[in-house]
Amino acid sequence: MIEQRFKCPNCGEIASFYGDPGEQTVVSCAACNSKGRITIPTSGQNNNYAIEVSHLTKVYGDLTAVNDISFSVKTGEIFAFLGPNGAGKTTTVEMIESIREPTAGSIKLLGRDIKTQFNDVKEKIGILPQEFHSFERLTVRETLVYFSNLYKKKADVDEIIKSLDLTSHKNMLYRNLSGGLKQRVGVAISLVNDPEIIFLDEPTTGLDPKARREVWGVIAGLHKKGKTVFLTTHYMEEAEYLADHIAVIFKGKIIAEGTLEDLIRNYGKSSTLHIKKCKNAAEVIEMLKQEGYDEVSSEGNGDIAIKIDYKERVLEILSHLRHDCIEYESLDIRRSNLEEVFLRLTGSKLTEDKQ
Amino acid sequence: MNFKIVWMDFIYSVKGWYRSRGGMFWSLAFPVILILLFGAIFSGVGSSKYTLYIQDQDQTEMSKGFNATLNSTKLFNINIVKTDVNVTSFIKEKNIKSLIVIPKGFEQTIKNSFMNPSARVNLSFYFDPSEQTTTQVIRSVISSILQEMNKNLSQGRTIIGVSEISTITENFNFIDFFLPGMIGFTIMQGAIYGSIERNTKYRKDGILRKLLTTPITRSEWILAKMLFMMFLAALTTALITIIGILVFGMTVNITPLAIIILIATSFLFSGMGMLIGRFVKEEETADTAAGAISFPMMFLAGTFFPLEQMPQFLQTIAHILPLYYVNEGLRNSMIYMNQTESLINGAVVIIFAAVFFISGVLLTKWKED
Ligand SMILES: Nc1ncnc2c1ncn2[C@@H]1O[C@H](COP(=O)(O)OP(=O)(O)OP(=O)(O)O)[C@@H](O)[C@H]1O
Ligand SMILES: [Mg+2]
Repeated sequence: MIEQRFKCPNCGEIASFYGDPGEQTVVSCAACNSKGRITIPTSGQNNNYAIEVSHLTKVYGDLTAVNDISFSVKTGEIFAFLGPNGAGKTTTVEMIESIREPTAGSIKLLGRDIKTQFNDVKEKIGILPQEFHSFERLTVRETLVYFSNLYKKKADVDEIIKSLDLTSHKNMLYRNLSGGLKQRVGVAISLVNDPEIIFLDEPTTGLDPKARREVWGVIAGLHKKGKTVFLTTHYMEEAEYLADHIAVIFKGKIIAEGTLEDLIRNYGKSSTLHIKKCKNAAEVIEMLKQEGYDEVSSEGNGDIAIKIDYKERVLEILSHLRHDCIEYESLDIRRSNLEEVFLRLTGSKLTEDKQ
Repeated sequence: MNFKIVWMDFIYSVKGWYRSRGGMFWSLAFPVILILLFGAIFSGVGSSKYTLYIQDQDQTEMSKGFNATLNSTKLFNINIVKTDVNVTSFIKEKNIKSLIVIPKGFEQTIKNSFMNPSARVNLSFYFDPSEQTTTQVIRSVISSILQEMNKNLSQGRTIIGVSEISTITENFNFIDFFLPGMIGFTIMQGAIYGSIERNTKYRKDGILRKLLTTPITRSEWILAKMLFMMFLAALTTALITIIGILVFGMTVNITPLAIIILIATSFLFSGMGMLIGRFVKEEETADTAAGAISFPMMFLAGTFFPLEQMPQFLQTIAHILPLYYVNEGLRNSMIYMNQTESLINGAVVIIFAAVFFISGVLLTKWKED
């Protein structure tokens, strides 16, 4: 028998169940009584959650910046906390890092309640605060040595410098580094104690695409080493590219959660078929609507976009077009992305500064 | 307390400071330039030329009349010394060049002189023999006034005389006054601005947040920073003192009490900086606020110019300013070698330091909202 924690999909309550690995069982939630089937995982240790957050709330005056959210982050995964400016990402992550005091709720890091045992986990976490700016007049290497000296457990600083490709800059003063390098040093600082969990608050905001890719490479590398990464971002591509698990936060609430596939399957149609330069677009749209495609839209210029949930639908649509002898210039199918998921969930766009 | 962490942080602070031209300038070059400049401008200028102090122990019509006569000559800048002040130590402390005491019974003796021809009263004239001109001027003015009075009172018989007392104080001049002030001022500036930087810039840059999640404790962090402030204080003091000795041939004593006052000063103004940084969040605004507090304080506390030259109400204000006690304490212990006074000043500085530093630490917000 092993203990397994589950989060109720209905109310977010986290509860423990006992069972043998691989066993399937029907359980009911102690808080809201909803029933569900769970499978005790075959692999995995006793407690395979690095971060467990339940009913976390933060109130600032009239504003509820974080509103009763619950989630768990599995050991070894990259968890992306995705949301627009002001959604409550920093407030949440800084409560988990014990920098801010929650109004309500509880947080466990590596199984320890941070309210009472935060000092025990300090050695095991590494954080990069949002818009972090280190000591101006220390070199890259000195900065890393400084922070690593604060810990008992020390990673090899030169190893970190090498793995983050900072070797040629290690003797430069921090203040003279470019924005991208500063962020990379920031990530490097969060690694000096060889932590189990790494928190990165918007590590790529304000970077150009090349520098962003470089930071992504670093984060993906951490994942390979088995580190748990908690990442906040307002870039869809970042979450799509890096995350194993994504929570979408909006106005202090988690409005969707799951793997990228889950989110797209549950909240977006999986693909969009674009018909370019269709001769009689208006008629075709009318026809498709009658055939039961409810998300058909004109994109001007005779272009038509049709949301579809199965690939097989493409063939169906094509046969309709052929049957009615419709002329068009080209077709293309695009897979849905998080942008669309977000648009559907909130009715607004996530980012204005997409590139 | 992990002293390895404290020491490490201290070393890195020194490194960062050493590489910062601004930091080096304000903590070393600026005070040196100022010392050389002011020293050159004011060299040889005694601090109280033609200034006459009077203690009127008699407080009668007659003694006041004498004062008024002296005043009407318009030759002196006359300062009244309270009757309960011990003139000998007053002269020593304030480095007074000329002082006249009108003894108790001045009027009575003059009245008696009509009946008793042998009645006689002496004014005491304390003078600094090294100030020959001043002494000469005052001596001749007094004697001509007395001559006139004696003539009127008794047709020439001497009723009022003068006994002269030479005060062999050391001949202090402006640079002696200025140097301790410069030390106190520089340490104050370094401590206030340093602690503002840590409480505003480091907060904005996320360094404080980052540190909260590392094993360094608040006391280790504070201790390391205070160590750094004391390092700066020591460096500043040493440099300014060496210049005083080599360039101006001063006698400067680094006494244990002076060292204690210097340490307390670092704590005092670090605490003040924390308080400013606590209530003014922006670094630039906080720096402005610090300037608005420290510059007037610098003038009002008699840092660069003797308080005696200021109006009475400003002198009163000076006595509530912590920097005043730093200045006086350093002067008394390093230059004038006046142990009692410097002990009192030192005690006041320590009390101020405790209050400011403790409230600074307690009121600083370490966590975020
Ligand atoms: N200390 C504070 N006092 C008052 N309100 C605050 C405070 N900190 C955050 N807020 C508010 O809480 C909300 C969430 O802020 P938060 O910084 O967590 O957002 P975020 O998702 O990190 O945004 P960004 O992408 O801009 O970093 C915002 O409306 C913000 O104005
Ligand atoms: Mg944020």
